[in-house]
Amino acid sequence: MSSTWSTSDLSPPNRVVSVLALSALVLVWVLNLGTILPNRIVPGTGHGLLSAIGWPGAMLVTAALSGCLLIALLPLRFRYVSLLILVSASLATLPLLLEVFAARHLPENSPYARSSIGSGFWCLLFFLSLMLIEIFGRLGSGRGLQLIVVAVICGSWVWLFQGDGLESLSLVREFNARPDKFEQALWTHLALALGAVTISAGLAFVLALQMIRSVAWRRPVLSVVSFLQTIPSLAVFGLLIAPLSALVEAYPVLQALGIRGIGWAPAMLALVAYSLLPMVRNTYVALTEVPESLADAGRGMGMNERQLFFRLKLPLALPVIVEGVRITTIQAIGLTAVAALIGAGGFGSFIFQGLGQAAMDLVLLGALPTIALALLADALLSMLAASLRPTPATA
Amino acid sequence: MRAWLPPLMLATLLCGLSAGMSVLEPLYEWVQPDKQQVIYERESFLSLLQNHILLVLISACIGTLVAVAGGIFATRPSGRDFLPLVSQIASIGQTFPPVAVLALAVPVLGFGEAPILLALILYGLLPILRNTLAGLQGVDATVKQAALGMGMSPLRVLLQVELPLAGRVIVAGIRTSVTINIATAAIGSTIGARTLGDPVVAGLVNGNTAYVLQGAILIGLLALTVDSLFEAAESRASAI
Repeated sequence: MSSTWSTSDLSPPNRVVSVLALSALVLVWVLNLGTILPNRIVPGTGHGLLSAIGWPGAMLVTAALSGCLLIALLPLRFRYVSLLILVSASLATLPLLLEVFAARHLPENSPYARSSIGSGFWCLLFFLSLMLIEIFGRLGSGRGLQLIVVAVICGSWVWLFQGDGLESLSLVREFNARPDKFEQALWTHLALALGAVTISAGLAFVLALQMIRSVAWRRPVLSVVSFLQTIPSLAVFGLLIAPLSALVEAYPVLQALGIRGIGWAPAMLALVAYSLLPMVRNTYVALTEVPESLADAGRGMGMNERQLFFRLKLPLALPVIVEGVRITTIQAIGLTAVAALIGAGGFGSFIFQGLGQAAMDLVLLGALPTIALALLADALLSMLAASLRPTPATA
Repeated sequence: MRAWLPPLMLATLLCGLSAGMSVLEPLYEWVQPDKQQVIYERESFLSLLQNHILLVLISACIGTLVAVAGGIFATRPSGRDFLPLVSQIASIGQTFPPVAVLALAVPVLGFGEAPILLALILYGLLPILRNTLAGLQGVDATVKQAALGMGMSPLRVLLQVELPLAGRVIVAGIRTSVTINIATAAIGSTIGARTLGDPVVAGLVNGNTAYVLQGAILIGLLALTVDSLFEAAESRASAI
């Protein structure tokens, strides 16, 4: 870690952080920080920064952002360390703004009134996150430090949201109205996405091996899987309904298995079809790009073909295969949300229910966890791929 | 000339089916025997198709302009500072599911065409931006040196050396972006855009599989037509 500190000694001023801090400062004063709604559906009244959290709060936000601006520009030692502390502290305490806002503005005697997050708050969150990414890059910090900072910020958010102060937030209200359904949606979403990834990984592995063994398979397999990827998801989900219904009608035994024209069965089929392209391509490329000289070395050591595959080719190909799994998982998590349109469940059902009822916070209750799942899968699988990458023996 | 045959045939099929969907009426009656009406008639398929193409086209044009300009800015000496952040945004942004981006546009901008257009532009930007950066950074430094040494101004190096060399990668990014946006625009009909997703959503709501099928066939055909257009353009470019 010692090398990371020395880079921050009197480094040149950072234009990126200063531009981001300035934009955030302007937007947070111009846009609404939050909205108070009399009930679930009626559009509410917006409150700007000053009206939302009063002079002390507004000054504190302004001071934090101006602080970032100054630290980024002035000739300072430990520029990025101080920025990291300031930005992550701001991010960790961000929900407090909503808490103060609700405490100041929520009418006492109306049980249906609720507070909602405004675009100013989203902008603040967005720009602070961009600043954090930029600071991480400049510090050249390892994954360890990034993980700790993100964990501290997330922990603080979870702790603040569990308290009573944010109970009036409409997003929290929507969640509290259906904790069981939320949990069920989470499991359905995960089961569908991960199930499709697992099945397609198995299929892709077999297909890739077949493609390596015989040249005749290569072009047809690749063109079929990329054809599947081109068709929009809504069309695939729609096209599967009719044949599946016909199949179930012809073979009633399928119905006993829970297979119908709508629901999880067509969703799973479509998800597997979509997952094949990134999986097949990465597995095939990974296995064929192991240098022949290495395989020769293995043969020279007396390995047979089976040992060669399991001890040499597969371990070397694994990082690229995991990269394929990462792309596929992110894509499957997003497509599972669309699958809610054909009744497959998952977080997408909140999105489309919310859109149907014009209840925006229900939409958020579906969209935010979907994004969080995708980001989490991205982080976990990139870490896995990085840890699998072989380290040069000479280092 | 042969390269243009598949897109031409697909486009003809797409327009023909949009204009005369009733040709396939027996098929839809077989799929949905219990319904009086099997052809979606709330709006003509042609106008839905036109609107769908318009949404994708506008977002692709604006997205390409912004992304290529951003990519050029981040790779110039004056914009170098922003390069790490811009490439991080391009890669992290693509982990956001398109449906979620579409859904988030509604609370901020409301229902209708405007939020969809904005979501399509923002989301479609990312693959183009990523490929522009990759393409421009992939241009050999010695080639740029040689061009500067010949007395070309930095602007001419950009226009006559860097962009042509990066062109193929940039077009591949535009192709990815357009493919994603055709699919996302279809889902956009759930938030009030008039696209080919309308019959699908209406059919799912009313339990009319024939509607679903009509929308799905046209969306699929549109995606294939556009994809084969890119294919033909790319094969022509490589033939030169």
